[in-house]
Amino acid sequence: MPETSVIKPDFEFKSQILGRGAHDLTSCYQCGTCSIVCPISNPENPFPRKEMVWVQWGLTDLAMSNSSIWACHDCAICTAYCPREAQPALVMAALREYSIEHYAVPRVMGRMLGEAKFLPILFAIPALIFGAVLAGIGNLTALPDGPVVFSKFMPIVFVEVIFMAAIGLSMTGAVAGGMRYWRAMNLRMVGNRGPVRLLPTLWTILRHRKFRRCADDLPGTRESPRTPFARTHLLAFYGFLGLVVTTTSVGIGIYAFGYLTPWPIWHPVKILGNLSGVAVIIALLIFGYRRITAKTKAGESTYSDWLFLDILLLTTLTGFLAQGLRLVGVGGAIAYPTYFVHLMFVFFLLVYIPYSKFAHIVYRTVAMLYDAATENRESVPPPAQAA
Amino acid sequence: MSKKLGVYVCEGCGIGTCMDTQKLVEIASSENEVSVVRTSPAFCLEDSKVIQEDIERDGVDGVVIAACSPRVNTDVFRSDSASVERVNIREQVAWCQPPNHEETQSLADDYLRVGIVRAQKTSPPSPYTDSHERRILVIGGGSAGLAAAASAGRAGFEVLLVEEREQLGGYAARLHLCYPQRPPYHELASIDIETSIQEAASLPNVRMLVGAEIVELSGQPGHYDVTIRTGAGDEQATVGAIVVATGWVPGDPARHEVYGLGVYPDVVTTMEVEEMAQQRAIRRPSDGGPVKRVAFVVCDTGADDTHLPYGGSVWSLVALKQALYVRDLCPDSIVYLFYGDMQTPGQHEYFYKRVQDDPQILFTCGEIRNVRKDDEGLIVFEADQTVVGGQMEIAVDLLVLSADMIPTTFDFPSPQLLNLQYQKGKELPTNKFGFADSNFICFPYETERTGIYAAGAVRQSMDLAASAQDGTGAALKAIQCIERSSEGEAVHPRVHDLSYPEFFMQKCTSCGRCSQECPFSALEVDDNNHPVLEPNRCRRCGICMGACPVQIISFNDYSVDMLSSMINAVEIPEDDEDKPRILIFACENDAYPALDMAGIARSQYPACVRVIPVRCLGSVNSVLVADAVSRGFDGVALLGCKAGEDYQCHFIHGSELLDARMDNVRETLGRLALESERVKFMEIEITDSHRIPGLLEEFVDTIKQVGPNPFKGF
Repeated sequence: MPETSVIKPDFEFKSQILGRGAHDLTSCYQCGTCSIVCPISNPENPFPRKEMVWVQWGLTDLAMSNSSIWACHDCAICTAYCPREAQPALVMAALREYSIEHYAVPRVMGRMLGEAKFLPILFAIPALIFGAVLAGIGNLTALPDGPVVFSKFMPIVFVEVIFMAAIGLSMTGAVAGGMRYWRAMNLRMVGNRGPVRLLPTLWTILRHRKFRRCADDLPGTRESPRTPFARTHLLAFYGFLGLVVTTTSVGIGIYAFGYLTPWPIWHPVKILGNLSGVAVIIALLIFGYRRITAKTKAGESTYSDWLFLDILLLTTLTGFLAQGLRLVGVGGAIAYPTYFVHLMFVFFLLVYIPYSKFAHIVYRTVAMLYDAATENRESVPPPAQAA
Repeated sequence: MSKKLGVYVCEGCGIGTCMDTQKLVEIASSENEVSVVRTSPAFCLEDSKVIQEDIERDGVDGVVIAACSPRVNTDVFRSDSASVERVNIREQVAWCQPPNHEETQSLADDYLRVGIVRAQKTSPPSPYTDSHERRILVIGGGSAGLAAAASAGRAGFEVLLVEEREQLGGYAARLHLCYPQRPPYHELASIDIETSIQEAASLPNVRMLVGAEIVELSGQPGHYDVTIRTGAGDEQATVGAIVVATGWVPGDPARHEVYGLGVYPDVVTTMEVEEMAQQRAIRRPSDGGPVKRVAFVVCDTGADDTHLPYGGSVWSLVALKQALYVRDLCPDSIVYLFYGDMQTPGQHEYFYKRVQDDPQILFTCGEIRNVRKDDEGLIVFEADQTVVGGQMEIAVDLLVLSADMIPTTFDFPSPQLLNLQYQKGKELPTNKFGFADSNFICFPYETERTGIYAAGAVRQSMDLAASAQDGTGAALKAIQCIERSSEGEAVHPRVHDLSYPEFFMQKCTSCGRCSQECPFSALEVDDNNHPVLEPNRCRRCGICMGACPVQIISFNDYSVDMLSSMINAVEIPEDDEDKPRILIFACENDAYPALDMAGIARSQYPACVRVIPVRCLGSVNSVLVADAVSRGFDGVALLGCKAGEDYQCHFIHGSELLDARMDNVRETLGRLALESERVKFMEIEITDSHRIPGLLEEFVDTIKQVGPNPFKGF
């Protein structure tokens, strides 16, 4: 028997969630239809029904220390069936968004990625860093002559050092955030959890097994506002993975074999990179198109949704643009600034991983690992909650 | 007086292709008193004129129409100058039996014989038309009573309204605001009972007495004598019908002691919150301190028996309304709302949603327990079975429970609303919840006392707006009652029935059973324990006729003798095990229409049944069942409405009484050395037509197993 807890609602949390597109949550009358139609919910841990009432009651600890919000892959079938149009899918999305900020280390980064007004500062950081490098080597005042070679404009070693350092920082942030989340879930857990099952979880992720269940196992006759989306995500996922492999290979090529850039366009690594980029762009366009067209059914997308899509898309597009400009030979005056912008986007994307929507890489994986280790044990109200 | 009967056999709607109508013509022709027999492809069309001509030109005074169910084409076949008997060979023969089968034919033959006998035994009723008082008495001057008075007054009826308190308006005057009743159903509205009072008071034919009570009430619909006591003394009046709108009273707080009511001053009911809200200051009763956290408990929760088992939507809506009071009057307050069922029917759903939109009002279903006071003086309780999950503890400044709405008809402390001078009791019979009893589904305003109609919270818990509508509804029923009674007609459900029971008093044994069993107290008894009929209280159900052990009660068009002759008109095949005969008494209100509907659905059921419609199963005298068995029927089924606590009998106790009389019947069967399985009571609802074939087949199977009636042929 769980011990009795004193309830103290946190209305600041409630208004935060309502403000993140989940304003229809108030109409929820706890019928539980959402949990019934959800292809991955279960009777022991009926989400999104529980999340709905936790937010209504302002129970931050409960809502934030649950793996369900990341078990959800946003098929939005709950929203399609909700008899009160309370939009449970948007509540889950708002909770995910909030939890990224909630667990962000340092906290301030979470807040900065969450609000549009901080966007100039976020871009100013890479601009200043790369600008300082350019100023240092004199490329800020006079662009290098001759055919366009980006390493002449921005020596690889600087790029590598800056990114290594920055990614190191962001990785630290990601690990810290993930661990806070893990600990929060553990506090709430009744009974013991089993061993962490890393490989099976990774295998699940690589195959998008759970994602596909969300897309394929939808009940009833109503259509999810978002399907089919697992395959699109798979395309983006492997596209992104391809880009990571490409970048890593180039690094290895340069430092291990002295194989200087630019590499020819027909080089297998280069082909892999370009194909991956195309895959990412296609997937992102589909995602974006759906966000626009499904607006009435699935609800408005938030700033953080669009920020993530746009940054990823612009990163890839500026990459292609820089490569294209180089190959076409338009001259450094156009190609070098484009490359500079590309670097800023790459920095933005990778360094802010734990704080933007990209952090789903971290938190969803943590949640899946946790679920695999505990097999959906029931959450209980917190022993005490600060008002 | 000998009759002149015309028999009309219709061949339309598949009748002609299903049976030999010529055979029916022969049967009719051979009967006594039959002067004309005709067939037609459709008597309901042009040929209905033929019937009319026979009546007008040839003096036919009894018409037997073998065609469709008596439930259809009533307007086509109605006649003012001849009695009309309908023989149902469409729904209950042609549409539910295999065509041109020997048994189908004999079913139709029997029905025709039965119908002709019925026509022979019917004589025109002579109505009782001595009651002409058209004034309406309204008891109670609250929302329902005022609406009833105004509605009846506007309809041109004189109204006498009697209010116990010195002030009109009832609870409306004691409530702060009411929940919204018009779009967009978002904001609380002020209560304007003053307009309702003015509206009723402005009508010249409405008279309202305050501080008055009924000390005596006697008579019957169309003529009641009422004595009203006011401060100025007693006053006599005569009225034609009565609306009871006496509303509700708060229950005993001790019932909710487990929740701390009466123990801690900060545990209150919704009535106290109304008072506080009227003064625009919701504070802690214990110390007058400010209120920051309030919990409402809609008192239909919990498995314990401290809750009244009803409350309907009122409790839910009042809690929603008062949650807004708190949010409005106590800045920055938090409201917890616990419910078992949140009932917000119809448009009230919008109001529920609007209250949900307030972020500081928190809802959950659940049970509360272990209410106590903590060190800081807060009320603390545990909540379990909530949707939030787990067990939680909540501390509040004020705990509000739904006020019990005890109907004033409930017998505590002891209602003295009507003081009826009826032998069957001074007040309205109530159901187990204390509400004025009626067939709730079909006749909500009715009570078990004809001419007295219940409106508002004496009928079910309801709010001001619903009570006002209810008052109008009950006033219309009172008007209908006055109009029908003045013509000598039954009020309902046998509207337009002019017959009433007559007594062959020489043979009365003064047993008083008719008076005891009459659900409507229409039969008083005199000093010799002989029945005395108050005709306008009678609903013509015939329960007295079914009750009388010496069968001296009959109607002009319905009697034990008639039913017995009808049973005798059925031909019983002898020595043929494949042709059993089952007699069915079917209640006209639900079972008979259900049988019709089975036919309409073209369901097939056994051809060995012979259905005889009765006004109510309560009118079936046990002697008839014995008759049928001794005549050679292999089984008797009694199809009637649901009996018992959730009865659906249109005459309240009819099927229940029949059920009790079955004991007599079994005794009779035992005396005849027959099996008790041969007689069966089946509860049939009007929606049960799909069950009919199965039920009848099952019964026929049972009878076949028991074997043929040994009395066949005697």
